[in-house]
Amino acid sequence: MSVLARSVGNAFRNKVRTAAVVAVLAVAIGLALAMLVANQAVGAKVQELNASVGTVLTVNPAGGQGFEGGGEPLSSEQAATAAGVPNVTAVVGTKALRLRNAAEAAAQAAAGQAGGPGGGQGGPGGQSTTTLTTSLTAAVDAGTLGNRNQASEGTTGATGTTQPARTLPITATGIGAEVDSAGKALELTEGTGLGDYTADSTKALLGTTLAEKNNLKVGSTFTINSKTFTVAGLFDAGTTFGNNALYVTLPAAQTLAELPGELSTMIVTVNSMENVDSTKTALQAALGTDKADVTQGQRNLETAVSSLDSVKNISLVAFVAALGTAGLIILLIMVMLVRERRREIGVLKAIGAPNLTIGLQFVLEALVLVALGSVVGAAIASFASGGIASALVSSSTSTTTAATGQRGPGLAGAAGGFPGGVPGQGGPLGGASQLLTSVTASASPGVIAAGIAAVFGVAIIGALVPALLTARIRPIEVLRGE
Amino acid sequence: MIEVKNLVRAFKSGDRTIKPVNDVSFELEQGTLASIVGKSGSGKSTLLSLLGALDKPTSGDVVVNGVSLAGMPDGKLTEYRRRDIGFVFQQFNLIPNLSALDNVMLPMEFAGMRKSARAQRARELLEQVQLDPDKHVRRINRLSGGEQQRVAIARALANEPKLILADEPTGNLDEQTGEHIIELLSSLSRDHNTTILVVTHDRSLANKTDRRFRLQQGKLTEEPARNRAAVPAAV
Ligand SMILES: Nc1ncnc2c1ncn2[C@@H]1O[C@H](COP(=O)(O)OP(=O)(O)OP(=O)(O)O)[C@@H](O)[C@H]1O
Ligand SMILES: [Mg+2]
Repeated sequence: MSVLARSVGNAFRNKVRTAAVVAVLAVAIGLALAMLVANQAVGAKVQELNASVGTVLTVNPAGGQGFEGGGEPLSSEQAATAAGVPNVTAVVGTKALRLRNAAEAAAQAAAGQAGGPGGGQGGPGGQSTTTLTTSLTAAVDAGTLGNRNQASEGTTGATGTTQPARTLPITATGIGAEVDSAGKALELTEGTGLGDYTADSTKALLGTTLAEKNNLKVGSTFTINSKTFTVAGLFDAGTTFGNNALYVTLPAAQTLAELPGELSTMIVTVNSMENVDSTKTALQAALGTDKADVTQGQRNLETAVSSLDSVKNISLVAFVAALGTAGLIILLIMVMLVRERRREIGVLKAIGAPNLTIGLQFVLEALVLVALGSVVGAAIASFASGGIASALVSSSTSTTTAATGQRGPGLAGAAGGFPGGVPGQGGPLGGASQLLTSVTASASPGVIAAGIAAVFGVAIIGALVPALLTARIRPIEVLRGE
Repeated sequence: MIEVKNLVRAFKSGDRTIKPVNDVSFELEQGTLASIVGKSGSGKSTLLSLLGALDKPTSGDVVVNGVSLAGMPDGKLTEYRRRDIGFVFQQFNLIPNLSALDNVMLPMEFAGMRKSARAQRARELLEQVQLDPDKHVRRINRLSGGEQQRVAIARALANEPKLILADEPTGNLDEQTGEHIIELLSSLSRDHNTTILVVTHDRSLANKTDRRFRLQQGKLTEEPARNRAAVPAAV
């Protein structure tokens, strides 16, 4: 019989008690593991959210957003000023163009429907809007919303008796880097990027549905204002609206609009989440309140992230508490077992067992109990952790979406800049709520191992300390008992 | 060779101090079979536990083969108990949930003996103390008092100690089995040069030992050797 065999035997000496101990340990360990798993899942999600859209500021001309409002347009000089503000890591300028199908524009003009500069839809000021004609047809057919929008927004339109079917305009945006109008990296599904985004070129990136509608592939050509462009790549923005768009380089857009150096928006990236607020203030001051509006696209996201962060902290506290409980249980059990077997320790000592052998015997016994508890606990955790994590996250998400609901329209405008007929263009918000609801914990082996290792550590100490303390006493005192 | 020098063990009980071992000195040559008799509560077990390094004296020293136990560190004392001492406890002190065989093998395990050799020797020892072979693998708490006593004796012999300290080793045995145990012990001292100190109430056992001590109120006195005491003066 070896120390190990003796320890295993001792662990099952009192079977009822062993079962009870294992059950309680399993619940505590299972809870600890579930919390660790939840913590990891939420933490990963927070990181993902922060990394994707957490630190972007949008600059619009003062009093105007997208194709709405008025005031002075933004300029390249202002972009340079913005780049000089501390904590700003990147400034990307965009120039938005509104494209109309050439044939339809001609038909409408013939029907006496000459509206404002937007062909029945442009904003009153039309500050940075430039409407151009294209060979492309929009991928979105105008439904009720589209028709209403276009009709009501026209300044002088809607006077004709019969209105021919309309199609929506197509948005062409000149971009200074490979990001969409909300500052998120473009997801190319085919082809390549535009290469140098600061050079005038005739290459363009098309949304997947727009390309499909016009039977265009990578390498195909189309025209904007009679200028021929080549499709360099296709992107998927994830929304119908986002995919009814195309991107060209910033100088190309400025040339098309015949407004060199003019910007519709600037997308300013801040170096970290914590600096976003201070940088926003500094940026606003640097550009002047009468010149530019600085908006923070991720305001709601930040609330979401902070509520997720608190969930993360709670789950960490719960993990530590559950682990502490497991540790306390095994500690008390081992103290109790050692007390109960004081006499036996005395016997072992009296017949010449080294203290370490005695300590090892109790450590192994504790490990047997913890191992059993861990196996059962891990099983409990694997059933419970997914539920716990999604429960934690979804409760925080519901408050977030409530807040989003109230502020949504304003933000959609700020981020997307298009009060168009397609709902759901929430910029970072759409992505955020999507990400939040999809948070589900998955148990990684490393996480489980770390949790179990911690409990084993506590078990070792809990067994070793009382056993060694008892072994240090003169055998005769222990043998005589209390 | 074991030398006991002015050994004192005092206990405080309330405001009174009792000394079950009070200035005890004696020497035993290697291979001696000796006995201690004395009334219940006279301090026999206390003296034995001091010799077996289970307890520390209030004053005095025990010197075994020139090495003093006083001031020996805990680890060395453990080694002394493991290698040099075989202790038969008055209350047996066996591990109740282990088999007789496992109990006898424990000291050998601590001494680092190979597993197969341990089992072999444990079986031989249990045969020597006349434990039925079918009881070798029986758990201690399912053995009778006398059977447990014999397992305790077998365990004390496990590591071939130089000194065996046995506290009432025949107390629970019938006369015939007791005789056999006495025979076993004296053959060990005779043939293996083992020093044996037996605490006993059994006169016939005491009479068979080379030297006989009596403990009375903490003081040890030696009685005349048995060949002179047992046999009337010759010629
Ligand atoms: N730890 C202790 N504290 C106080 N008194 C003790 C302690 N250990 C032993 N004694 C006392 O010392 C005396 C001697 O005890 P010991 O066990 O040595 O007697 P004994 O000669 O072995 O008796 P018996 O023949 O009944 O076994 C007893 O009076 C006992 O009460
Ligand atoms: Mg006694």
